Amino acid sequence: MATFNDTIRTAGTIALLEWRLEWRQGHQLAAVGLFAIASVYVAFQAADHHTDSAAWTAMLWLVHLFSGFTAIGRLFDRERSDIRRYLQWTTDPLGLMLGKLFHAVLTTTALTALVLGAFVLFLGWPQGLDLPGKPGLLMLGAWLGGLSMTTTLVFVSAVASQVRDGSGALGAVLGLPLLLPQLILATRLTRGALTDEPWTMLVEYPLFLGALGAGTSAIACILFPYIWRA
Amino acid sequence: MEMMNMILLNSLEGFFFGSGKAHVVTGVALIILGGLAMAMWRMDRKLSRLEEEVRSSGK
Amino acid sequence: MKGTLNSIWKWGSILLLAYVFLWGFSTPLQPGLVSCSPSQLDLQEETITLSAAGQPFALEGAETSGFTVILRSADQLLRTDVTSVSPHGIEARFDVPDNLPSRALDAFVFTPKAGTLFLGNACFVEDAAKGDIPEEYRATAPDDLHPQLGFSFPFQPNIMESIRNLLLHVPMWFAMFFVMGIGFVASLAQLRTDRVLWDQRAEAAVRTGLVFGLLGLTTGSLWARWTWGAWWVSDPQLNGALVTVLLYSGYLILRAAMGDDDRVGRLSAVYNVFAFVMLVILLMVLPRYTESLHPGKDGNPGFNSYDLDNSLRAVFYPAVIGWGALCYWMYTLRLRMNRLAHALLTQ
Repeated sequence: MATFNDTIRTAGTIALLEWRLEWRQGHQLAAVGLFAIASVYVAFQAADHHTDSAAWTAMLWLVHLFSGFTAIGRLFDRERSDIRRYLQWTTDPLGLMLGKLFHAVLTTTALTALVLGAFVLFLGWPQGLDLPGKPGLLMLGAWLGGLSMTTTLVFVSAVASQVRDGSGALGAVLGLPLLLPQLILATRLTRGALTDEPWTMLVEYPLFLGALGAGTSAIACILFPYIWRA
Repeated sequence: MEMMNMILLNSLEGFFFGSGKAHVVTGVALIILGGLAMAMWRMDRKLSRLEEEVRSSGK
Repeated sequence: MKGTLNSIWKWGSILLLAYVFLWGFSTPLQPGLVSCSPSQLDLQEETITLSAAGQPFALEGAETSGFTVILRSADQLLRTDVTSVSPHGIEARFDVPDNLPSRALDAFVFTPKAGTLFLGNACFVEDAAKGDIPEEYRATAPDDLHPQLGFSFPFQPNIMESIRNLLLHVPMWFAMFFVMGIGFVASLAQLRTDRVLWDQRAEAAVRTGLVFGLLGLTTGSLWARWTWGAWWVSDPQLNGALVTVLLYSGYLILRAAMGDDDRVGRLSAVYNVFAFVMLVILLMVLPRYTESLHPGKDGNPGFNSYDLDNSLRAVFYPAVIGWGALCYWMYTLRLRMNRLAHALLTQ
């Protein structure tokens, strides 16, 4: 049985390993960035400078959702191969999961900054707005929404990676319904932050998003060892 | 609106009963329930028979 | 002996549901007030007409004695004179006082045969100043009127006859919770023991639960069309219900995708545990803390107001037990099918 310290050390090692591999195999990181920028550009062309806050929110979250899918959906791909057999006998599963989650948090933070930045750069703000009503809340909402989305996706792709053939499509099929509640909360929060709704109306949404993210991470950590040793 | 008028204009039993629809609805619901019960009962019996078969051939 | 006992509860569930359908669809609805016109009143002498469903006034004809109409503003009562009673409704005339504690007026109609009828926020007085109703306008409620209605369902202004859906919609969701709970426990046991029997139980439970979840969605959608005017609205409870059904469909897709992989039991058990936790969060936690139209959530009148009525209770509780037992029967059928298939494959 691994001690707490061992688990934390494993988590750190895995996170560092993931991060180094991402940089060394730069094409995957670049692919996600390219996907995000290209999607934003498609949204920019389709909107043609006329967006109200509802359409703006919808497009932002569509881009964010699918970028998240491309970034997180392949998180367990490496564990399909021979490396899996090696890791399976040497690594504490909880540590591995924590490492992956930590990596997902970092990726999401970068991705949120990229998507939101590119979105504002190309599309500007919705019509009639010089600035969003609550810029800080908008950023917080995008980040928290992204986080609760990606932590769920980590779990789903861990499950999907265990299925022998066709994990990409399966991950999407299992993941999309699971992401609906997060997206409903996140879009509601984004719209409220754009149109400057009063704090009392909005304060519950970041809390719910945070709780959902923490909750799904916790369940993923509890259940992952069972998948791993299967 | 038409619905509302019918509800307002019917006698003490109200539209649902005055128009005789209550009996139709009850009848249809009971027929569906009966059909479901028959189907499930037959499946139950069939499963019992198959279970017996598997048990005796497994020995 | 075991065989008889087995068929007794199975046929018992069917008989219970037959009783529920018979009584549920052939018990009349109590009369009730539907609308008030005009709904905006000025500070003068006004005549309002209160329309009713179920004709509580019909037998009386033009006789106005025995009928009393009283309006309520906050906790103070306002007197009116009943001018005419027709099968369509009752007319009352009164002076609108300059001062009212609340601009919204609730209406009470006291009738000799049908008891007390109530309509909340029947009419509004925009120009009234805030203050107490003067003494000469006040009324006291008659307290010796008891309804003699017989066995009947309570009247709710927006729900009306569709209240019978309570006997389908709510027990169906209860049954789904029940059988999904069985699946959750089976999946936990599967993770602990890794025995195929628990996997078969979980699969049977999810499959049956999905059937009842879909039925619950359908009956809910019908009810939404009647009471809210749309087949589907964006509401935390409804979103949660849809996501739950999609989630459990994912369980079946996952199993199908894995085929005869021998890790299917463990992996789908993991997914099922996750799905059940999400079900609890989505259907029982989130809707309570966000604004929701759905009864029983966020300060809406829950079933308490229905439940308090004995006539409805006499049918609702049997419906819960009947649907639950039927659902359990379906679950056992599916489980036996799974077991047979496994036995045939391994023989």
